[in-house]
Order: sequence, then C-alpha cells, then structure tokens
Amino acid sequence: MKSYRDPNLSPSPIEILSLDHSALYKRRTRDEKQFDHSFASDDYEDLSDDVPKQKPPPIKPHNVVKNMSLSNMYCSRCGDGFEPQEKIVNSSGELWHTQCFVCAQCFRPFPDGTFYEFENRKYCEYDFHMLFAPCCGKCGEFVIGRVIKAMNANWHPGCFRCEMCNKELAELGFVRYHGQALCYECKASAKASALNKHSCFKCHGIIDDKPLRFRGEVYHPYHFNCTACGVELNSDAREVKNRPGITANEQNELYCLRCHDKMGVPICGACRRPIEERVVTALGKHWHVEHFVCAKCEKPFLGHRHYEKKGLAYCETHYHQLFGNLCFVCNQVIAGDVFTAMNKAWCVHHFACSLCDQKMTQKTKFYEFDLKPVCKKCYEKLPAELKRRLRKALEFAPKSPSTT
Amino acid sequence: MDKAPVSCLPTTPKMSKAKKVLDDAREIQNPELDLCDKGIVTFEELPGLFNMKNITRLTLSHNKIRNVPGGLANLVNLEILNLFNNYLEELPMSISSMPKLRILNLGMNRLNSLPRGFGACPALEVLDLTYNNLHEGALPNNFFMLETLRALYLGDNDFEILSPEIGQLKNLQILVLRDNELTELPKELGELTRLRELHLQANRLTLLPPELGNLDFTSDKSEVKLHLNPWVAPISDQLQGGIVRIMEYIRSDTYKFLYKRQMSLNAPPPPKTVDKSKKLSRQRNAS
Repeated sequence: MKSYRDPNLSPSPIEILSLDHSALYKRRTRDEKQFDHSFASDDYEDLSDDVPKQKPPPIKPHNVVKNMSLSNMYCSRCGDGFEPQEKIVNSSGELWHTQCFVCAQCFRPFPDGTFYEFENRKYCEYDFHMLFAPCCGKCGEFVIGRVIKAMNANWHPGCFRCEMCNKELAELGFVRYHGQALCYECKASAKASALNKHSCFKCHGIIDDKPLRFRGEVYHPYHFNCTACGVELNSDAREVKNRPGITANEQNELYCLRCHDKMGVPICGACRRPIEERVVTALGKHWHVEHFVCAKCEKPFLGHRHYEKKGLAYCETHYHQLFGNLCFVCNQVIAGDVFTAMNKAWCVHHFACSLCDQKMTQKTKFYEFDLKPVCKKCYEKLPAELKRRLRKALEFAPKSPSTT
Repeated sequence: MDKAPVSCLPTTPKMSKAKKVLDDAREIQNPELDLCDKGIVTFEELPGLFNMKNITRLTLSHNKIRNVPGGLANLVNLEILNLFNNYLEELPMSISSMPKLRILNLGMNRLNSLPRGFGACPALEVLDLTYNNLHEGALPNNFFMLETLRALYLGDNDFEILSPEIGQLKNLQILVLRDNELTELPKELGELTRLRELHLQANRLTLLPPELGNLDFTSDKSEVKLHLNPWVAPISDQLQGGIVRIMEYIRSDTYKFLYKRQMSLNAPPPPKTVDKSKKLSRQRNAS
C-alpha cells in the first residue's frame, strides 16, 4: 500500500525531522545551556514542562581498537567476544561489535557515527528527536530549551499565542475556548459577544444588566463609585468630561445621576435636559442654541437679535408685529433705531414735525399737539388762542410725553 | 380771488424761491418737496409741479394757498400731502382719485366742507382736519368708507353729532374730537376694536356710551382724554381714578341703568360755552 502525504496539508514530523537539518545539529551542539526549569507549571491547568532529563552531548565514534587482549573483551550489547581481526568499537571504555553499535530504536548504524545517549541507550539523531525532543505545534521546528506543553502539543514559548489578540500566553496563562487557546480577556469578550453581551473591561465577566461606559470601555457599574458622593454606581451614572471640548477622555470622571444633576450643568429652559454644548443665557434661563426660539414663529434665533416682552422672546419681525413698533408715518416695522414719544413710534426717516415735515432728532425740542410732535417754529405759528388752550390742556394731562 | 392782484406784487420775489426748490428737486430727482413757509398763494407759482410724477411727498404748510387745482391728482405717486396752515376753503374732487395718498394734512385751513366722493380715497391712512369749520353736515355721504384710515384728527371743528357710521372705520386707531360741540357719542364707537387713542376733551358731553367699555385702553400705548366736558357726576367722580376706573364703571350694570335713564330723559344738551368766532379758520379769504 502506497501512502501519499501532502506536506502542506499535514506536515509530518518525519519530514521535519529529516536529518539533513544540519542547522539543527549545529544548534544542538552549540546550545550548552541548562534547560530552564523555573517554569511554574502548577499555575496553569493544561501546561506542563516536560523536557529530556538529560541533555546528552553528541558523541563522536571512537577509534576502533585493534590488537588488544581479546580474551577479556566482550561486546557491551551481545556479550560475545570478538574475533581477532574484527573491528571493535570503543566508546567511553565500552566495546561493541560494529554490527552491535547501532541505534537502540532502529538497529541501524549511526549516520556519520553521531549518536545520542539517553538512559544508557544510544539513539541515532532521528530517533532521539522522535522519542525525546518535542516539536513545536506552530512552526514545526524542534523545541530547544523551554517547552510549553498545552492544547495536546508542544510549543516554543514565542509560538504559543492567543488566537485572537496574539499575545504570548506562556506567562499570562490561557483558557481553552471552543478549541482555541485564548487569553482571559479575549475569552471573556468572545464568550460575551457570543451571548450578544458586553464583557467587563475590569473583571472580564459578562455584563448581564446595562453596562457602564467609561473612558471608551464597558464595565460592570458596581466596580465604580461616584466621584462626588462615593455611592456605588449603577448604569444611570454619567461620565463627565472634565475639559469640555477635548476629545481625550483620560480625565473623564463618573458621577451618580443625582450628583451629576446637581453639578451645575445648565438645564435647557425648553426641553429640561442638560446642555452639553453651547449655552444661550436669556430671560434668566439657559437654553440649547436650537431651543431658544421666537415665541411666535418658533424659529431659533441662532445668535440673531431677539426682543423680550413679558418673559418671552421674539424675533424682530414678530416683536414688531405683535407689539406695534410700526412707524406712525410709513406704517412699516421699524428695523433700526426707534423714536418713541406720545404713545407712537417713528423710524429715523420719519420722525419729523407733523406740521411742516421737517426732520427732528433726539435732541430737537418739540411740543405736543394732539399727541403729535410739533417743532418750535411751527408751534409759534399757531394762533394765540389755540396755544392758550394747549397750555391749559397740559394741566389735565397726567402723563408727560417722553422720548427714548 | 378777486383781490388776487393785490397779493401779486409781494409774492413775485418769493416765486423764484419756490421755483428754485422745484428746479433743484428736478435736478437731483428728489421725490420729496419741501415748500414750507414760502409765501405761496397759488399753484401757478409752482410751474411744472404737476408733471413731477415721481414725487412722493409735497409739503406746503404755512403758505397762503387758497385753492388746490384738480391737476394735483396728476401726482400719482404722491403719498404725503401737507397743506397745514393755508387758506383753503375747498378741495378739488379729484383728490379722492390719488391712488397712493396715505397721509393728508389739511389742518388749520378754512374748510367748510369736503368734496363729494372724498370717502373714495383708496389709500388714506392719516387724515388731519384739525382746526377747520367742519361739522357733521359738511362731510360727504361716503366719508366713512375710508376703511384704510388709522388716524382721524377732527379737533377744533364744529361737530355736534358724530355719525354712527364711525363704526365702519375698522382700522381706526386714533380719533381726535377735541374742542368740538359734541353733545353725545354713538354706541358704534365701541366697534372700533383697534382704537387706542381717543380725544374727547372740551366738548359738551355728559355721558359715555356703555359700549365704549368693550374697548381695551389698558395698554401703555393707549390714551383717552375726557376732561373739560360737563360729565354726569358719577363719571366726573371716576375721572380722578384714571381711564381704567372709568372703563370699569361704564361696563357696570349701575352705569348702564343710569345711561338708559338719562337717555330717556331727553334732556336738552348743555349750552355752548366757547365763543369760536375769533378762530383763524373763521376768517374769510376775502378779508
């Protein structure tokens, strides 16, 4: 039966272990360090340290001894004596028939004469690796030095990583989750997202109730206390930007809803909600820019001039429409400065003597005639008997005309 | 007019003054003409005026104009016409055809009547007839059709009766009847809902129609002048308390009862107390 293995699909340890890996051999000979046994395997459920107890140095075959006293020489393997003229292998004082000096596993001579010794048995490099040296489950290379045994495989410490965040797991520990080795954080979030829930950034537990968002992460609210009153928080807690307008949130703080509302965050006079952005202060209240509107047309002023009347604000058009600042002469809404006198209003163009139409200013002195302004020149032209009556009428007038 | 040549000589030098104003206005296309106190006697001193169709305001106060020719109506863009303090005894009928005339001041003239059809003025908003010789019989029949009117000044005239038709002037905000001979007021005054200024001082009034209580004079832009009338005692007593108190009072059933009883008495009106014979408006042009 012929078996075919595609090395890409299923990398076979046999292929990886082929002995033309001369680099491996060099590494092995070079690496004289002791294995690191400090790895505390007790801490990790599925992790253990299993390294060969000995690191036998590769031994070069010895000189073949000839013409020694054959009578007291026996093969270390089969115990038989040696024929004269027969080649004898001497290794560390032990003697072998050449056909007996073979790998304890495959019974074949050691290629290049290199062998590894373990528990007094000698192995060829191939079988030694197969039997005692672990192979990394990720990169397929032999693991020299510290071996991580986990997930039913061996790993270089640098190769055993969280399958979600790629952090090295050797020091952090790991959890098996759906056949994957994950760090605790990733396991928690994977589990939470599978349940359509958040996992707490602090304890990694699933957040069953409403999460508390803080500095860009989600938490169980009970991990925090109100910055002001110290009460344990619930999900109603508010994150407050210490420096408004700065996007960095490292300085944000958490407050319970009660303290948050008492902190002087302005409340909009229209919608009764706190104002986080620009605040308009008018009519003794605070307003969202878009909620400070004309009481008549309900359009926001957006920084345009507004007119106040009896605790309400109006746009220019509707203030004049409702409160009658129409020019007495042109009967139009007065856009600019207003002259008011004798219960009437005038625009700057039309404030004039009612008799001669000469324009008057704020400083012009004028007389009142039927609640209309009359310049001094015209007043003096009035008949004496009329002036007398006008003077007399002043005695009955409780209100004195005023200008603004 | 028969003595016109007499006034011809003194006016000749002033004629050029008025003419200069016209020429200047023509030159700079000024639509507002100020011809105040220029000694103008007749419109003949203002040659070409009626061709200046662009003008919107014409002020001719304090002159000696006796007659307004019908040609004035050529000034189709005229909005403001001020003829205060002139010698006018009558107006041309054509004045009621001026399409844009909004403000007309005819105060201190010698008008004994208004021309027939005057009420047809299409745009009139402010009409000042103060200090003339007008009375209820001098108004044309259609006078109260001036629906656009917002201010009517009739002070210093000779009205004894105010027509109930006054109620048709729905836009009236200001009504001045000071120094007339009014003995009673129509209840229709109470229909002028926009009225905020009412001058009734120096008449021969004893009672106010209770309907006047329908009107709101509480705004700080309101004014009601009632003094110098022979009011019945309850009203004159309330006069001290201000207009709000009087309005409250005339709305009361007590007053309505008193008003009804007084009206049924048919008492003769109070006599005239003021001698108006020396009024300037009484002077004849011929004099």
